[in-house]
Amino acid sequence: MNANNGEPSPLAEFSSRIRSPDDSISGPAWQGAQTYGAAAIGPLAGILGSEDFEIARNAKRAMYRITRHAGRPGAETEAEAAESALITALRHESATVRRAVLWMLSEIGGDRAVEPMAALLTDYEAREDARAALMRLPGERATAALRGAFRTAPEPFKYALADALRKRGEQVDGYPSQKLVPSKQTTVQAVSK
Amino acid sequence: MNTPRNGMSRRRFLQSSALALGALNLAPSGVLATGGAPGANGRFVVGHIGVGGMGMTHVVNMLRFQKEGKVRLAAVCDADDNRLEAAVNNAGAGVVPYRDYRYLLERKDIDAVLIATPDHWHAVQTVQACECGKHVYVEKPASVTVREGQAMVAAARANKVAVQVGAQARTAKGGWQTCRAIRNGIVGKVSRVTCWHYANPVDDKPLPDSPPPEGLDWDLWVGPLPFRPHNKRYQPANFRWLLESGGGQIRDRGAHQFSTILWCMNADHQTSFTVTATGRAPTKGLWDCPIDMNVLFEFKNPDWTLEWGQPGDKAGQTEFGNAFWGEHGRLILEWEGGYRPANPEAVNFQLPPGGQEVYRTDEYEDFNMNHKADWFKSIREGHLRPAVDIEIGHRTATLCNLGNLAYVLGRKLVWDGDRQEVRNDPEANRFLSRPQRYPYVL
Repeated sequence: MNANNGEPSPLAEFSSRIRSPDDSISGPAWQGAQTYGAAAIGPLAGILGSEDFEIARNAKRAMYRITRHAGRPGAETEAEAAESALITALRHESATVRRAVLWMLSEIGGDRAVEPMAALLTDYEAREDARAALMRLPGERATAALRGAFRTAPEPFKYALADALRKRGEQVDGYPSQKLVPSKQTTVQAVSK
Repeated sequence: MNTPRNGMSRRRFLQSSALALGALNLAPSGVLATGGAPGANGRFVVGHIGVGGMGMTHVVNMLRFQKEGKVRLAAVCDADDNRLEAAVNNAGAGVVPYRDYRYLLERKDIDAVLIATPDHWHAVQTVQACECGKHVYVEKPASVTVREGQAMVAAARANKVAVQVGAQARTAKGGWQTCRAIRNGIVGKVSRVTCWHYANPVDDKPLPDSPPPEGLDWDLWVGPLPFRPHNKRYQPANFRWLLESGGGQIRDRGAHQFSTILWCMNADHQTSFTVTATGRAPTKGLWDCPIDMNVLFEFKNPDWTLEWGQPGDKAGQTEFGNAFWGEHGRLILEWEGGYRPANPEAVNFQLPPGGQEVYRTDEYEDFNMNHKADWFKSIREGHLRPAVDIEIGHRTATLCNLGNLAYVLGRKLVWDGDRQEVRNDPEANRFLSRPQRYPYVL
C-alpha cells in the first residue's frame, strides 16, 4: 500500500497483475516488467515460488525482462541494482527460485555475484545450475570459485567441476571427462534374423 | 549431372581441396580406403541417433541406400523406447537398438551417424561423433548458440570428417535453379530478400509438469539443457516452440530459407551484419517463441538486406517462402513442408553468355536422398566439404540464433563475423554460449 493515500503502491499493483489468472492482464504485466526495475525482483522472486505454474511462469518471465533490460549497454547502474536484487533472491527457500536466479545472474552478473553463486555449489538441488551459470561469468574470480569448490566437492560432482575448469583453461589432474561414457540401457530388442 | 563448381573443372577443384586439407584420415572402419575412395565393399556403415519424425525419414532413406548396396544400417538410437521399437522393427534384422547414443559412438565398425534429435542436442552429439571419428549428417539448425556452432566446425576439421547439415535446398533442383538464375542476373542486382512465414503457435492449453511417459528417458531427452521436469506441452514435438531448444519458425524454417538465400546471393562469406528484431510474445503457456516476428539483417559490401517476416509480406501462394527483389523485378522461391519446384521463370532461365554455372550433386530425384548422396560423395571424393558443410550450417544458424537474440534483448545487435562476437554489448555476448548440463557437454 502507498502510505500517503491508502492506494496500492505501483509495485503492489504490478504484483497483483502478475498474479492474475487472466492472461490478458498478466501477459502485458510481465511483458512490461522492465519499467519497474530492480525493485520488482524481490517480490517477483516470491511469486516465482508460487504453486500455480502459470503465475510462477509470469513472474519468471517478468524477472528475465527486468534482467535483460538492465543488462543493456550504458545501463550499468541498473545492472548493478538488478544484480544486487538477484543476489538477495539467491537465498530463497525454493530451489526452483534459486536455480532460475542463477541463470539470470549468468547473463548480467559480475565479480560481486561470484561468491553468492558459488555458495550454491554445495547446494545439492542447485549445484549443477550454479556450476553452469558460473561458467558464463568471465574473469579469474569465477574460475577461482570453481577451483575452490572442486577441492571440497563430493566425488561425483568433482567430475563436472573438472570439466568446467578445463573449459576455462585450467589443468586438472584426474577426473577424466565422462561425456563419452555410456550408461543407459534399453529394453527394446533387435529383430531376430 | 556433375557440373563443376564455379566454373572450375572437377579435377582442379579436387586437387585444390586436397592441397588445402593435407593428408586425409578418413573413417576408422576400413570401409574407406586412403584418399577418400570407397574401400573394397564400397559401403558406409551407418547409425541413427534420434528416430522420431525426421529421424524416421533418414532411416527410410538409409534403407533405400542399403538396398542399393551403398550402406549397411547397423544401429538405431532414441531416448524414447516407443520410437526406438518402431525404428528397429522398420529397419529389420541386423540393426542394434540403443537408448544411449554413446554406445553407438563407441562402435568402431560405424563410419557415419545421422543425428535427428531435438535442436538442443545437435551440437553435443555432432562434436562427440566427430571426436569418435564418425562422419555426421545432422539436422538443421546446426546449433542453438554461436559457440556450439564454432565447436562443431572445429571438431569436424580437427577430426577430418564430413559434416553435412540437413538443409536440403542446396542440393535440390528447385533451389539450384533459383540460385543459378539469381547469380546470373535474372532480376539484376538483388538488394533485398524477404521471407514470409506463418506464425508460431500459442500454447493455449498449458499443463502442469507431470511424470514422463513409460519408456521415455527424460534425463537423456533433456540432455544438455538445464534440467526441468517433464511437461506434456514440451515433449515430444513441441520443443520447436521453446526458445531454449527449437527456437521457433525462424530457427526451423529459417535455417532452410537462410541457407538457400545465402547460396543464391553468393554470400556465405558475408559473416558480419547487423540485426534488429521485434515480436509479439505469447501471454500464456509454456511456449515462449514470439507469435509474430520481424527480423531485419543488414549486410555490407555488397549491401543488401534480409527480412524475416512472421507473417511478413506474402509474395507468393504457399505457406512460406522468400522473394529476391532486384533491379529488374523479383523472383519468388516458394516453400512448403516437402519439396517444391522453383518458380517457372527460374526453371526456364537460360544462362547468359559467360554466365556462371552452379554445382550441385544430382544423383536422386528425391531431395532427401540427393542431399545424403552429396554427403557420401564428399567422403568418397575426399574433400569432406558437402554442400551444406558445417561451416555453412553454422553461419546460417548464427543468423537464426542472433535473430532470436535481438528479439529477446529488444535491441539492435552488430555482429562482427571475423571476431565472432557482438560489438559493444557484453550482455549479448554472454548469450553466445549456454554451458551444458554435465555429462552432456561439448
